[in-house]
Amino acid sequence: MGFIEGVLTSFVAIIPVTLAQSLILAFVVLGIMIPFRMLNFPDLTSEGAFPLGGCVCGVLLAAGASPVIGIVAALVAGFAAGCCTAFIHLRFRIHTLLAGILMMTMLYSINLRIMGKSNLSVFGSPTVFDWVPFARPGFPASKIVVAGLLALVAFVLLYMFFRTEKGTAVRAVGANPDMAEAQGINVWAATIGGVGLASAFSASSGALMVQSQGFADVNMGLGILINGLAALMIGEAVVGKQTVWRQLLAPFAGAVIYYQLVSFCLAAGMPPPDLKLATGLFVLAMLALPSLKRSRGPAPAREAIRE
Amino acid sequence: MLEIRSARKVFYKGQPDEKVALDGLSLSLATGEFGIVIGSNGAGKSSMLNAISGALILDSGQILINGADVTGMPVHKRAAKLARVFQDPMRGTAASMTVAENMLLADLRSSKRTLRQGLNATRLASYRERLAILGLGLENRLDTRVDLLSGGQRQSLSLIMAVGGSPDLLLLDEHTAALDPRTAEIVMQATVRAVDALKLTTLMVTHNMQHAVDYGSRVIMLDAGRVRLEVAGEEKARVTVVDLIGHFSVKTDRMLLAS
Repeated sequence: MGFIEGVLTSFVAIIPVTLAQSLILAFVVLGIMIPFRMLNFPDLTSEGAFPLGGCVCGVLLAAGASPVIGIVAALVAGFAAGCCTAFIHLRFRIHTLLAGILMMTMLYSINLRIMGKSNLSVFGSPTVFDWVPFARPGFPASKIVVAGLLALVAFVLLYMFFRTEKGTAVRAVGANPDMAEAQGINVWAATIGGVGLASAFSASSGALMVQSQGFADVNMGLGILINGLAALMIGEAVVGKQTVWRQLLAPFAGAVIYYQLVSFCLAAGMPPPDLKLATGLFVLAMLALPSLKRSRGPAPAREAIRE
Repeated sequence: MLEIRSARKVFYKGQPDEKVALDGLSLSLATGEFGIVIGSNGAGKSSMLNAISGALILDSGQILINGADVTGMPVHKRAAKLARVFQDPMRGTAASMTVAENMLLADLRSSKRTLRQGLNATRLASYRERLAILGLGLENRLDTRVDLLSGGQRQSLSLIMAVGGSPDLLLLDEHTAALDPRTAEIVMQATVRAVDALKLTTLMVTHNMQHAVDYGSRVIMLDAGRVRLEVAGEEKARVTVVDLIGHFSVKTDRMLLAS
């Protein structure tokens, strides 16, 4: 009994810290979901866009800029990166996954160029988390409030957007690009804008993370993609993805649940080096589940993914 | 009105398997005219339709819709002038979206999409009304995802989507070929009613010679990328299936079965 109690005590103790972290990382999950589900464009750019946002924000904070400027600059940089990925895919007919790998590899060098070194401390610089009244700066509560509010704003704005005429058109591009084009929708503009927006979210997550942890690192994106994918899978399993509302809620719910699960596993004594293997196996299981369920029926049709 | 002036398109140019898809094809269809395009496989029917819709860019020649040159215009810009129903019911609709959302997409085909809410009460009411004409019960399934509909229902929906907003030109690409005979008849009747009621300029590709005889004001037979035969007016009223088949250079079982 002592073991279980010990595990629970240490798990409960870090719930607020984990919650703050997961709300910040929910934006990466959002940045993975939008291309993947709304545009049928599996995208890997976030692995490079997340540290890009972090590096841009870190450099600006170190130069004495306001934390809001840091986040806005990260948004713009991320948007540009996403646009490049979409353009590479559309113009040169390169597979979306390869376009994403190319982009994230190139971004690594760009991130190093931006910072001039691999690691930059911005500890003590003002952050957006300092502005919450009644909360001690640096305490998880202020991070939860700020990240939670930003997540709420992003959710509401995106929900409203995807119900507009333009938003419906963007979803049509993901559902059936040929049909969308025949209905007068500019597939290039929708794809470039949508993937750009998604990468902007990933980059803003990086900027928030840098302000939260007090340093920027070129390697901070390592494995972020598989974590985000795992979070998305959990979110979709819990809240579903049948409607726009559920599909948009899934990244946020998934991020919160996933990172609590990880923290529980670590509290229960799982060695941290095994974490990526466990996450990878989990994502594999979630992706394999539908085809395992079907295995008794006729041969499943191959999933149509844009090439 | 539609005008095609000596359109030419060659696939795999300069290679051993070079294929001339359109060989100086010229065609003109007056406003309100219902043209039926027939021809054996490889005659250039699909290439012609693709060239008109913009999916295929011509090597040379010109395409005019209502006098405006659209030869170099991308597909999504031409969509303001023309609507198309594909043979495959899957291609004309967005499967993972609802019936109402699909109707909305078609509704906005020729207008600028704004940041206003897409589906509102007024629009839903008008979609319900337009779908009720089919008599398939689609008007009560506005919130159903299209991939849950049958092929016939999807194709009927595509048709209603295409004729909405009275496009300058309606392209029907063997749009009943993938359906069972009864559903094909329903879709064909709905097509004829809509074309008549809205006086649409229409170009329909078909392998069904009976349809070619029964419908339309002009029959256009393609062969090897050019117009081989045109039957219109009085002559069109008297033409029979046997007459049409007699003009085919290659006869296939499919044509005989279809008649």
